Amino acid sequence: MTDQTPHRQTEANVVLRQIGKPLERSDAEGKATGRTRYAGDYTMPSMLHGRVLRSELASARLKHLDASAARNLPGVLCVLTADELPDRLAATDIPGQTGQKRASTDRQILVREFIRHHGEPLALIAAETPAIAEKAHDLIEYEIEPLPGVYDIDSALGPDAPIVTEPDNIVGQHKIRKGNVDKGFAEADHIIENTFKTQFIEHAFLEPEVGLAWVDENGVINIRMSTQVIEHFRFIADALGVPHNKVRILGAMVGGGFGGKEDITVELYLALLAQATRRPVRLAYTREDSFLGHGKRHPFVISHKTGVTKQGKITALEVNIRADSGAYVFLSPYVLLYSAVAAPGPYRIDNVKIDSAAIATNNMYTSAFRGFGAAQACVAYEAQMDEIAKAIGIDRFELRRRNFMRTGDKTATGQTVESAIWSDECMTRALEALGEETKAEEPVKIGRGVATYQQSYGRITWLHDTAEAWVGIEIDGTVIVRSGVTDIGGGQVSALSQIAAESLGVGLEDVIIYHSDSAVTPLAGTTTATRALYMTGNAVHKASSILRGRMIDFAANELDVQPDEVDLANGQAFVVDDPSNFISLTDLAARGASEGLQRSELAMFRAPFTDPIDKETGQGPVFPDFTYGCHAVEVSVDTETGEVTVLKSVGAHDIGQAINPQAVEGQIEGGALMGQGYALSEELIYQEGKLVSPSFSEYLIPTSMDMPEIKTIILESRSGLGPFGAKGIGEPSFTPVAPAIANAVADAIGTRVFELPITPEKVVKVLSQSQTNGDLEQKLNKTPLLED
Amino acid sequence: MSLEKAIPVKINGVPHELLARANETLLDCLRQHGQFEVKNGCEKGDCGACAVQIEGEAVDSCLTLTWTVEGRSITTLEGLNDTNKPHPLIAAFMEQGAVQCGYCTPGIIVAAEEMLRETLNPTDDDIALALSGNLCRCTGYTKIFAAIRQAATVLREGGGND
Amino acid sequence: MLSEFDLEMPSDLQASLSSLPYATPLGGGTNLLVDLRARREKSKRLVWLGNIQAFREIKINAQQVSIGGGTTLSDILHSPAMAEAAPSLFNAARVFGGQMVRNRATVAGNICSGSPAADTVPPLLSLDATICLTNAEGCRSVPLDQFYTGFKTNLRRQDELITGLSWLVPNSNTANLFYKLARRKGDAISVVGVAVTVTREGDRCTHARIALGSVGPTVFRAKDAEAILAGGLLSEKLINDAAQKAMEQSKPIDDLRASANYRRHSVRVLTRRLITQAWHSLPEKTAHT
Repeated sequence: MTDQTPHRQTEANVVLRQIGKPLERSDAEGKATGRTRYAGDYTMPSMLHGRVLRSELASARLKHLDASAARNLPGVLCVLTADELPDRLAATDIPGQTGQKRASTDRQILVREFIRHHGEPLALIAAETPAIAEKAHDLIEYEIEPLPGVYDIDSALGPDAPIVTEPDNIVGQHKIRKGNVDKGFAEADHIIENTFKTQFIEHAFLEPEVGLAWVDENGVINIRMSTQVIEHFRFIADALGVPHNKVRILGAMVGGGFGGKEDITVELYLALLAQATRRPVRLAYTREDSFLGHGKRHPFVISHKTGVTKQGKITALEVNIRADSGAYVFLSPYVLLYSAVAAPGPYRIDNVKIDSAAIATNNMYTSAFRGFGAAQACVAYEAQMDEIAKAIGIDRFELRRRNFMRTGDKTATGQTVESAIWSDECMTRALEALGEETKAEEPVKIGRGVATYQQSYGRITWLHDTAEAWVGIEIDGTVIVRSGVTDIGGGQVSALSQIAAESLGVGLEDVIIYHSDSAVTPLAGTTTATRALYMTGNAVHKASSILRGRMIDFAANELDVQPDEVDLANGQAFVVDDPSNFISLTDLAARGASEGLQRSELAMFRAPFTDPIDKETGQGPVFPDFTYGCHAVEVSVDTETGEVTVLKSVGAHDIGQAINPQAVEGQIEGGALMGQGYALSEELIYQEGKLVSPSFSEYLIPTSMDMPEIKTIILESRSGLGPFGAKGIGEPSFTPVAPAIANAVADAIGTRVFELPITPEKVVKVLSQSQTNGDLEQKLNKTPLLED
Repeated sequence: MSLEKAIPVKINGVPHELLARANETLLDCLRQHGQFEVKNGCEKGDCGACAVQIEGEAVDSCLTLTWTVEGRSITTLEGLNDTNKPHPLIAAFMEQGAVQCGYCTPGIIVAAEEMLRETLNPTDDDIALALSGNLCRCTGYTKIFAAIRQAATVLREGGGND
Repeated sequence: MLSEFDLEMPSDLQASLSSLPYATPLGGGTNLLVDLRARREKSKRLVWLGNIQAFREIKINAQQVSIGGGTTLSDILHSPAMAEAAPSLFNAARVFGGQMVRNRATVAGNICSGSPAADTVPPLLSLDATICLTNAEGCRSVPLDQFYTGFKTNLRRQDELITGLSWLVPNSNTANLFYKLARRKGDAISVVGVAVTVTREGDRCTHARIALGSVGPTVFRAKDAEAILAGGLLSEKLINDAAQKAMEQSKPIDDLRASANYRRHSVRVLTRRLITQAWHSLPEKTAHT
């Protein structure tokens, strides 16, 4: 076998009793019975209802706004406009306790004069009922004067382009320089150049943004809401001009996030309305509000120029990346950094030159979305790999094998990857799992494609990420975990419970977790960047391991043996060589309590801390670690109508160690379908910056009728930086899917659609353009496919 | 503005009166009544998160006017689980890992339950058709299908509540 | 939130009809309530038809199919006989909305919505359906083919309801097919909908219907294309000519879902494909029953 053969790096004496088992998630019952309370399910006596008035235009000047009629409507408690707010801005940067200086990403809270995107809030309303709030919304009179805007990145860079926000329309740039690309291209036998484009897409979580805010007796503004990030409380406090300890954010189980609940949404408006009215206020976005009210996935234009030898060795890579950041910066600079670092893919390339830029327009702002720029990069580099293979006449899987990074290799930024790199193994397994090729008759063709990837988990290392967790054992032996992590549906809190249960030798049902309360639960950072398990999992593991040691020491004393002879399992501390010599955890905890034993532990986990990379060369470590894997698909393409059907979809990923394999499969299956929507059907259409149809009847996420046969393959190198050697899978499960589908379609039809989504119409168009080979023309009755 | 009327209905077998004006939807009224398992996802019949059954027939409660259900029996997810033993669908959703964020789950179980009363041998096409009005963004539907197949098996073998 | 309106809840047809001159009929509500919420529909008075007994019924005998004005898409889908009596309509019901919408949306409402993308209309046109428009004075029959007068306009008077539809059961020498091309397989608005009916006698096509959705201001029959087929000895060329003519008769627009050019192209492809498929599904020898 080759050096990629999986080998388990298991520590010999560790017996895992809960980790790696497909346990029923701790949150499953509450959700399956409908008893789980989401943020929108909380009410309070004398609660008011909020509403946001939004701009109908994308680039305009607010000439005048008159809310007097709305204010005079009985039942309206307040209407806030920019005039009622201090001239303060709201930060849109990465939140958290990093203490790092942030980029200048502030934006206005409500429009004061200039409207920069469709849906930008003009006024906030609080009223006794939703109907009155709606009526007040319709009674606000305002006049806006359209202004010239910029709606695509090319015109935004033009000499006379309107500037969205001073000083210019370039809001973030990154460079990576490694080796010497001129020398690399000189060594190449072939140079292949292509440009790939991706579209705006929407997170489409099922639960629209919602929250409930109230001011308590201490003057603290409490906000119970649906968010991935409770630690925006600091930005909210800053925007309101109150101390950080006067804003508290409480989460609830989140009805989907995917990055769309990473930025500030309703909490800022809730805080303002609660502060203004001193009454509880509920604000629930409609689906239209949700489409207009949070950032989207960046559309990218990515050009690859690749030098490659006859043998298929890549000698040089030059990549130019441009993305539409929309009207406000938000996380665009970070997204563009991710895309630049990801741009070479999981390949060993000695000579690399990458430039990325985020460009402001008057489109909706773009920010975090599962894959975070690295997904768009993968759409390009994996399509490019197939195009290279085609151009030089080499098998596309073999081409990948000849260039894959291997364990111990360095990334393009010079960071040595310490964990296993099993791209090859994952690809082999995914291809195997596709099985027999499906048969089809003309005019339907079958195609297959793969995409491999390199995707970080954990935050950028110079953000100095930390997470805290508290673990305690009650006097009856049950376990409590407290941590500020939010659960956005991926099983984040269940995984933490499972880690505590493993360490302390109790069942998952014996653990209760309190989570996502910025005032009460130790702060764990955000549920973003595929970091929750890695960061908070390590914090819980650390706290529970310390507690475990303390309980074992105490038990050893009670059992009259040495601590290294004792294990904890099944609710008991027992002597490993003589399990009949045991003490129940219940008795142990009770005895410990009477002896004053500390039965709790607060632990902080720190990710690797680094300095920022070099600005000119991009050299240096950027991320804690990376996940590697492969997605393979089989599609059928109707070459006459252009309809694409995904038949089989296989995700094979080295995730280090599955904490709960069932939850991991769930991530991969969900990623498979979300990626399929990205590849084939999803697209937000902006016309002059205006979102044409903010609705699920026009924005088409895959339905049950679109589901292919999905298989998941979990490989475990146990080499990750997470607890028990885990890596992350939340974002990686999504990233390779769309390029795999694009490659399968190209394989089926022999030509490529270079721009997502691959609609039936685009398929027909590229087929029509490639009709020169004649046989296709004959097949299609010698009539042109399209008239244009 | 039309007057508010008291609309007598049965919710999960228990008689209640829902106070509603002509333009109020069953979704809003049920949630005001405390049936928070009925979720608001789009208010225009695109997502199915608000699905409930009226006389056993699954409908989008966002597209149902409360006045039009006068005297009818309304069943929500809660009503499918009204015994000590979880409904086989609910048990299967838990066991199969068919629940992630859980927001679509109540509507999906309500839609699936209607289908299982029509056939206990559903093909994958039957399941796909039954769920075509319920969007899920987390799961890729795969484990949802597995859960529905499992529940069908349990019900075929007489493992239901009845 | 829905705009404000009054709602009448008559318990029988007569009472409903007497309200109609002043009110908008509310059937399944799957279109009307969406439009009220979006403020596209401004009616201040609705009349709920759901209490009308026997409005939701399907009658199929050897010759004729008739359905009541309250018949839902699910009713169609749950009628095994419908799969025989109107295969195109049955298949349209399968790709119509989601289950909850199918349980409420009525065929009559889909017809009245007037949308060029209404999924049931190409099948019903391909079956030569006749609708029954009823007011307080009585009922008039109108061939569906004559119902539409323009984009979202039709012959229904304010005081009339579609109380029923009927069509003749296709004979065993007749095939009736429907295909909906959309951007997603489940619950999507059609890009192009094509329904065809073909009757075969030996090598001759004696009757043809080609109905097209989403490629004009209304759903319509491509009558010139039908004329190419009807009475002719069917050949690949004839089918291609008819498909070409259907394309030429289409007057689609560019919209979010597809360009006009792609729609025209797809009309030709799908028309050719469905007629070919229909033709080959029929016995060469005429079965006289």
